Amino acid sequence: MRFAIAAAALLALLPFGLPLYAMTLLTEALILGLFAMSLDLMVGYARLISFGHAAAYGFGAYACGNFLLHTTMPLPFAVLLAGVLGGIVAIGVGWVCTQATGVSFSMLTLAYAQLLYAVAFKWTPVTGASDGLAGIPRNPGPFGVTWWSTHAGFYYLALAFLLGAFVFCHALVRSPFGAVLRGIRENEAKTIALGYNTRRYKIAIVAISFGLAGMAGALYAPFAGFANTELLFWLLSGQVLIMVIVGGAGTLIGPVLGAMFFLYVQQKLSSYTDSWALFFGVIFILFVLFLPEGIWGLVLSRFKQKPV
Amino acid sequence: MEFLAFLVTQCLNALSQAALLFFLGCGLTLIFGIMRIVNFAHGAFFMLGAYVGYSTVHWTGSFWIALIVAPILVGGFGAAFELGILRRLYGRDGHAFLMVTFGLTLIMGEVIRLIWGVEALQVKPPAGLSDIVFILDEPFPVYRLFLVGSGIVVALLIWQFLERTRLGLLIRATSQNAEMVYALGTDVRLVRSAVFGIGCGLAGIGGVMAAPLVTASLGMAPNAVIDTFVIVIIGGMGSFAGSLIGAILVAFVQVFGTYYFPDFALAFMYLIMVTVLVVRPGGLLGKEA
Repeated sequence: MRFAIAAAALLALLPFGLPLYAMTLLTEALILGLFAMSLDLMVGYARLISFGHAAAYGFGAYACGNFLLHTTMPLPFAVLLAGVLGGIVAIGVGWVCTQATGVSFSMLTLAYAQLLYAVAFKWTPVTGASDGLAGIPRNPGPFGVTWWSTHAGFYYLALAFLLGAFVFCHALVRSPFGAVLRGIRENEAKTIALGYNTRRYKIAIVAISFGLAGMAGALYAPFAGFANTELLFWLLSGQVLIMVIVGGAGTLIGPVLGAMFFLYVQQKLSSYTDSWALFFGVIFILFVLFLPEGIWGLVLSRFKQKPV
Repeated sequence: MEFLAFLVTQCLNALSQAALLFFLGCGLTLIFGIMRIVNFAHGAFFMLGAYVGYSTVHWTGSFWIALIVAPILVGGFGAAFELGILRRLYGRDGHAFLMVTFGLTLIMGEVIRLIWGVEALQVKPPAGLSDIVFILDEPFPVYRLFLVGSGIVVALLIWQFLERTRLGLLIRATSQNAEMVYALGTDVRLVRSAVFGIGCGLAGIGGVMAAPLVTASLGMAPNAVIDTFVIVIIGGMGSFAGSLIGAILVAFVQVFGTYYFPDFALAFMYLIMVTVLVVRPGGLLGKEA
């Protein structure tokens, strides 16, 4: 937590010293960080590997895009509403997917994402089909509040959402609810034997996780100004899983670092080569093989080895 | 009469599609049944098969040589990957495999793009199979009949292989109790490498077979891997007969769904999968939930 506060202060000061290009990149990293953190709730705490998290992200982006394009809803409110809507839809998704366990669960979430992907191509009035939604505005709030329409302003908005989500998730995983989730991760049969209806807990965490991922997608739509089917594609689901694993699953902070690392390496590599996905595949395999606890997990274990 | 002809040709269409899906599904289910590994790279091996097939046809001019070369190369690569990487992960939870094979999918996709480029590559069916026959006065490509035939042949071969040969016996034994097989003096690790190679090789055959039908392209892998998972989940993870039933079911839904409800064909496939999972969480012929 102390690290989180220090990091938040650093992130809050950064816009004063960064060029515009770097700040745009950092804003995207914060949004992806929120996305990865939401997945960590499922992957790191309940060992529910969602392979279709792009569904939640894309859902949020399209929902928020429609709110902003067709109503005068203020931007932060549209983002929140898109997230809540995504969470409510995810209750149904969670109900279906938690019928299965383990790998079948992963594949069901993937199937759900692919279903949305297919729907997005057909449901033209809402999604704009293959063109996507373009020109998504950053609607002002009441009384002429428009601070989030600038680059720095939007950066702070994304930061506020990320910090809010972190405080929420941090409290959630330390609550009795979080303890049950860890019970499911370590030994589901035992948790059931202790009298917990684990299915309900799983559905709840799917809904919360998808809701937060929806908020991340909802931030992305006005950030980029567009929403397209790429945001629902399975490749994005895989990428966000990479961010979580590389950063360190089950640490909340790790996945945010993983998202920053991912975006940074992607930018660096893509300026040298088109084949950055090749290097990512290699980096990812090496992490799973030799550093399964991820970047932040490694840092934490170093701290623990040196008693103060 | 016209409707009957339509029905027959569409059924044959679906069966030829089922044959391709079966090549993918039985490999995946074999690997899962023996190794508890979910091979996300299965679609990438399928795609590699198609590209290797293209190059072999290009150099040798013979589709039949491609049909032998591709599965050997693809299967060999799969076995090598198992020996080099996957072997280090036994004992970790199943998701480690999912993630490593996802990484492999990214790598293979890029390498294939670097070697063969982004253009879709056309593979000609071999002479004699590129014609059209008339079934009840409806034109029908011979190549699709060839697919149906080879699907049946391969299904019978694998079945006999699993039931009658020494390696088949070891494979079945390993899927039931690997420790006991090891204790009885068989190197289970070699059986696993072989199974992974065979499964990937089957995906490779599927890739060569599919190439004349759909061209070799970079979009093959994700489409194939998702269809394959749907089949295997419907049929039951690890069940050989289940993968056959799943392939036929999905192929019929795809072919008839695309004809009657073009906008909802994809949704049907997922609806069937969800229904099966809700009723029987382990799949139609699966043992475990």
